[in-house]
Amino acid sequence: MPIRFKALSHIYNKDMPYAHKALDHIDLDIREGVITAVIGETGSGKSTLVEHLNALLLPDEGSLEILDYEIKANEKQRFLKPLRKDVGLVFQFSEYQLFEETVLKDVAFGPMNFGYSKEEALKRAAEALKKVKVSEDHFDVSPLELSGGQKRRVAIAGILACDPKIIVLDEPTAGLDPKGSKEIIDLFVSLSRSEGKTLIIVSHDNEMVYNYTDDTVVLSHGKIVYHGPTDELFADKEKLKEFNMLEPQIVTFRNELIEKGFVLSREARTLEQIASEIAKQVKR
Amino acid sequence: MSNLVFGKYIPIDSLMHKLDPRAKLIGLFLMIAAVFVPKSWWIFLLIALLLSIALLLAKIGIRMIVQSFKPMIMMMIFLLVINSLTVRTGDILFTIGTFAVYKDAILNTMFVIVRLLLMISITTLLTATTNPLDLTLGIEWLLTPLKVIHFPAHEVAMMVSIALRFIPTIIEETMRIMNAQKSRGVDFENGKLSEKISAILSLIVPLFSVAFERAYELADAMEARGYVPGAERTRYHVLKFRFLDFLFMFICTAILAVSILSRFYL
Repeated sequence: MPIRFKALSHIYNKDMPYAHKALDHIDLDIREGVITAVIGETGSGKSTLVEHLNALLLPDEGSLEILDYEIKANEKQRFLKPLRKDVGLVFQFSEYQLFEETVLKDVAFGPMNFGYSKEEALKRAAEALKKVKVSEDHFDVSPLELSGGQKRRVAIAGILACDPKIIVLDEPTAGLDPKGSKEIIDLFVSLSRSEGKTLIIVSHDNEMVYNYTDDTVVLSHGKIVYHGPTDELFADKEKLKEFNMLEPQIVTFRNELIEKGFVLSREARTLEQIASEIAKQVKR
Repeated sequence: MSNLVFGKYIPIDSLMHKLDPRAKLIGLFLMIAAVFVPKSWWIFLLIALLLSIALLLAKIGIRMIVQSFKPMIMMMIFLLVINSLTVRTGDILFTIGTFAVYKDAILNTMFVIVRLLLMISITTLLTATTNPLDLTLGIEWLLTPLKVIHFPAHEVAMMVSIALRFIPTIIEETMRIMNAQKSRGVDFENGKLSEKISAILSLIVPLFSVAFERAYELADAMEARGYVPGAERTRYHVLKFRFLDFLFMFICTAILAVSILSRFYL
């Protein structure tokens, strides 16, 4: 069952002279089990959109169906906790959520809130920390003493330890160095591919979006202007121009190769894939 | 938290927004004095009427003013009860069992409540139409004469403006951290006492660490741009009184004069 937005609107500062419609009648089906990117300019409503997914924000009009839950406008929510357990949200600069005395305790905080016993929560925390490659020497350190990149990993482990079915990432790599960003994205992509988790990534980074995501949603002024396969969007020069987006370097490179006479498919999205397609042609 | 109305700046354009912050501050003091002097309902009616015109000119909805009254309701009920119990002058209005409620009790309460409501409306008018930074400029200007007795007017104004500047930022950070912790299953509204304490801790600790980080960054940024406390500075925005400002202050002075005179002649 997809995640389904039905004519969903959200208005900030309703009833005030400066009310602002952040989402305007959104109709959207997000596929389960794949990676979807949400992109758009600052203020286009990306964060507002994803904060509806675990009912941090409630719709002012319309409704949202996600897993077995339905969130309707003007209705009191009864299933907040199970919904928030099943839909994990990793915020921008998520390291600011750390507060416990030790790294392990902080990661176990989520599972304990969702009703796991202390032993079970600590076990899950240790597993999640291993997944994000935080070594055991750091388990008993205060999270506030870690480096920025390490803090981010601990914060992400805090969400993974709750074992969500859907993971939503709001700019997960903002402020990280290129190597750190790549590691974190690789981690989530492998999680999605191996465990079939639905992944929704809000991002500004077109290269990352192009390299890793299956579908892309483009938002502009609270409306959806594109929803479809990522490779189709980035192959369409006119659309990119219309949305004020830069072509990923690898696409430019591929197009130049095609101009020089190589036959390359749209599926060749990484250097390795391009190289192997060329290798096949050279052999012939 | 974002529906907090009292003291909130409404960034729109209106005649009241255009007035000089110093004129508005002086006007505020004059008007508050004018509200506390009179004992005649006619004067209150006059002030309320002129205030409504000012609110209309400021494009502030009645709804917002009514909302800003809400926190005062408990206090009003409290006042009414205390006054009914203690004031024993005037005619008996009605009796509950053997307990008599006097006319003066109700009258006194009404006076206090009307004064409070007018005062809140006046203050809301000022804060809703004046950018916090302009407001501190105005305060600094008003404090300048105190420099004679070595009062650090500029430093105080700078501190106030930094504090005001960071209120929305800290509210934003608070909302963000609350959202992050809610996503980890924290329930800020319900739960046992121990759960509530842990919920508050999960908010306070990160908030403090963010606030300190912000403070260090701000101090560095200010020093990098050559800020020296107490040094003579020039201004990018120079405040200027214009005709409308004088007119506004004149009207406020006139209202105060009328309300003082009303004590003698009405």
